[in-house]
Amino acid sequence: MSNSKYLEIPVGPQHPALHEPLLFKVKVEGERIAEITPFTGYNHRGIEKLCENNTFLKDVYLAGRVCGICNVVHTTCYSEGVERIGNIEVPSRARYLRTLLNELERIHSHMLALAVMGELIGFHTLFMLMMRDREPILALKESVAGNRVQADYVMPGGVRKDIDSEKIEKIKKTLEHVEERMRYYEKVFKEDSIITKRLSKVGKLDRPEVSKYGFVGPIARASGVKTDVRYEDPYAAYGEIPFNVITREEGDSWARTLVRISEVFEAINILRYTVDHLPDGPIGPKVPIRKVQAGEAISRVEAQRGQLVYYIVSKGGDKPYRVKIRTPSFNNIMNSPLLFRDANIGDLPVILASLDPCISCMERLVVIQKDGLIETKTVMSLAR
Amino acid sequence: MLKLFTEIMKNLFKRPATYEFPREDRLAQSDYRGMQILDLEKCTSCKLCAIDCPAYAIEMKANPANNKLYPVTDFGKCVFCYQCVRVCPVKAYVTSNIYKLASFEKEALIKDVLKATSSES
Repeated sequence: MSNSKYLEIPVGPQHPALHEPLLFKVKVEGERIAEITPFTGYNHRGIEKLCENNTFLKDVYLAGRVCGICNVVHTTCYSEGVERIGNIEVPSRARYLRTLLNELERIHSHMLALAVMGELIGFHTLFMLMMRDREPILALKESVAGNRVQADYVMPGGVRKDIDSEKIEKIKKTLEHVEERMRYYEKVFKEDSIITKRLSKVGKLDRPEVSKYGFVGPIARASGVKTDVRYEDPYAAYGEIPFNVITREEGDSWARTLVRISEVFEAINILRYTVDHLPDGPIGPKVPIRKVQAGEAISRVEAQRGQLVYYIVSKGGDKPYRVKIRTPSFNNIMNSPLLFRDANIGDLPVILASLDPCISCMERLVVIQKDGLIETKTVMSLAR
Repeated sequence: MLKLFTEIMKNLFKRPATYEFPREDRLAQSDYRGMQILDLEKCTSCKLCAIDCPAYAIEMKANPANNKLYPVTDFGKCVFCYQCVRVCPVKAYVTSNIYKLASFEKEALIKDVLKATSSES
């Protein structure tokens, strides 16, 4: 290192920003970041392969366990895929209930991301307060689905549990409280001078770059790209619910934070519409769907972090032939070195938190069998 | 300044948002998916719960009294998805919101209905 003009600093793998394992090797020149390379492979569990060995029914639970925070979107995406292969009709009440759970999850995930952002800025009170106000949403999820985090709610063909008028009242009451608190946090994030100074013009991403490198989710929307699967390719009940796609033009960390805040309000509106227009009827098939005819399907949903894609191949029978998962964080993190151009080393956690990375979603491993030797490679090592 | 003062006064008398867990219990809601208990009289030994369990936590054992098979759940493996509850054709599983299942021994997590009833009586 002595003859090099750069100093190499490892950031991670013990929680670089969010509490998940990801390693960034950063080359710095003084305070300025010259080069940054993400390394993954600390959290690989082989879920895609496990899905092939388990039945369609068990894979619903496996899909939910890809990631704790995004479990409902994963199960929704998987179920939509299975329904597409098997041409299974979903009752309209079940579609509305899916929307309800998806939006509840969006609110609590965005609130977590915002809270972590507050913590990284050095604003621990904001973190504590936001985590406190996130708790009623988790309680709602518990009362609707049965668990605070692992909902296991969506199944191929419908949902697992119905809600009654008592729970609808509870949802409405909680949403009022959360909306009031979020108005306050919106004011904090917009007006607090420390937050605006730390976040604005940091980690800038231009609109052409978003299209070129395929950034998705709030990151793309904060750079002015109007992309949202809920709007482009409606699933669940999103085709029947009016909502706005939030975009901002700035393209910096601050814009990404504000997009998340506005999306929470949008999610609250969607939830209100959903519970007011909840149709009557069945919520799913009485007998779980075990066998699906041969065929293949791609399904995509808008996860909290962007577009999530499942590709499912069935050769008939009760097990899928292949399940391919493409998560939003994968795209966003692999291309993240673009955001760190000319940034300060001190800005690294803030930029990373503004991406809202979900590492457990994005771990991939390739097993290569050549001349009797078995070699494993992470996707990042293949990309280099 | 006044705003700050009122905020301080409010917080002095407010209940904290956290629980002192072992002493103060977090009341799990009635809808919470907690430990499921088998009603042995209803069970028809159809094995559906053991077949469909995504965590492979249910093992079928023979009842020494009448040689009928009945499921034994290992709560160390259980992921509380309630697939067994959902799939049971005779609704032999009784649901509960019991969540305090931590134990020092692995064997204590394997809940055998027969052993539980014999030790209680």
